[in-house]
Amino acid sequence: MGKVIVITSGKGGVGKTTTTANIGTGLAMLGKKVVVVDADIGLRNLDVVMGLENRIVYDVVDVVEKVCRLKQGLIRDKRYEGLYLLPAAQTKDKSAIKPEQMLELCNELKEEFDYILIDSPAGIELGFQNAVAGADESIVVTTPEISAVRDADRVIGLLEAKGLNSPKLLINRIRPDMVKKGDMMNIEDMIDILAIDLLGVVPDDEAIVVSTNRGEPVVSDQSTLAGKAYNNISRRIMGEEVELLNFDHEEGKFTRIMKILFGK
Amino acid sequence: MTQDLVVFKGTKDGVYIYIRDGNFESIKKELDIKLKKSSSFFKGGKIVDFKGKSLSNDELKELEGIVRDKYNLKIIEKKELKVKSFFKGIEEGMTKFIKTTLRSGQKIEYNGNVVIFGDVNPGSMVVAGGNIVVLGNLRGVAHAGYDGNKEAIVAAFALQPTQLRIANLISRRPDEDIEYPKWPEIAKIEGNEVIIERYLPKK
Repeated sequence: MGKVIVITSGKGGVGKTTTTANIGTGLAMLGKKVVVVDADIGLRNLDVVMGLENRIVYDVVDVVEKVCRLKQGLIRDKRYEGLYLLPAAQTKDKSAIKPEQMLELCNELKEEFDYILIDSPAGIELGFQNAVAGADESIVVTTPEISAVRDADRVIGLLEAKGLNSPKLLINRIRPDMVKKGDMMNIEDMIDILAIDLLGVVPDDEAIVVSTNRGEPVVSDQSTLAGKAYNNISRRIMGEEVELLNFDHEEGKFTRIMKILFGK
Repeated sequence: MTQDLVVFKGTKDGVYIYIRDGNFESIKKELDIKLKKSSSFFKGGKIVDFKGKSLSNDELKELEGIVRDKYNLKIIEKKELKVKSFFKGIEEGMTKFIKTTLRSGQKIEYNGNVVIFGDVNPGSMVVAGGNIVVLGNLRGVAHAGYDGNKEAIVAAFALQPTQLRIANLISRRPDEDIEYPKWPEIAKIEGNEVIIERYLPKK
């Protein structure tokens, strides 16, 4: 029996879709059978980030409306065996699916897969209600900005009201240099406000922009810092104890030389 | 009152038996009772076909058996299933002109030819019974001849679709980056494949 995990944030643009694609790919790289479901009907992106847009024939609305069989709606990833995508419909809107249908879909997927990751749309309206309908667990993504943390707090409240009692926090787009200077909220501050378990921290990494545009999740490139962070997060989801990345050790050669020279 | 599972309908060809959704055993029983009640009426009549609920071959045979053997009714040999008709006006026929760019999430569906004065962006879709002509960039999904016309074509100033479908064939953009030509192109079915070529080869 699989596990349904919803990835949500309240605020838009904090990296829900990137996170879904990377954790999905990360779990598949570790040998799990995974399906990532795009619940952002009308504004689908997950297919683009995973580079599978050109393979879409049916979508999640076709599946719940029984226009096609579930198997026909699932798109196999081009790189990793065991990784599948159920894309959102683009020409419809959130009201095309009801929470009960989503729940039924999740239950059906659970029979087949180890992990079902649901990419929630931004906001807390119907799209969000759909995304969380079948979830067993949740991951809340936030960035180190007051507005994102505020929305995350709101969403955690809503998740708890739905009975999803222990959401996990993923802090995205941290810039260690800025945190050190005190220009950015640090991890402790955010945990202090949100008071939930930390699942992982992903640094702001140019590699994400490159990989997103190429449709290849960054987690498949373990030479990048963000790739490593997502790999660690995937392993934590599987129950492994993995320490948080220490970003200080990962700084570039140039900074290190500067440090030696100027003793900073 | 429960709804009838079996209904008889007379047409000029003969009598059709409509079967509604329901338990097959009750359908059988009801058919039997109804035929018995009015056996004199049906005597010598012709049954054309069973319609309505989709029956499996075995179920169909069983029902036919009751009609033919028990009540001695003739079942007319089913005519060859008519070849599914599709939109044929690709040389000359109904055409819709769209005077705007299609953006992500927009969809045009028309049982005829479609001409678009603008671009077809990724995430948008054009579905036409006949040809699709885009006077601009085609980057979304295009489905020409969707109800089965394999002669249908897709043409665009810049033919770079996410996915291209003609009749029941689906082809997709290659995963690796490709360089697109700068001239207008046309896509059509040849053999069992969608091929793309420039439509003014000498220029």
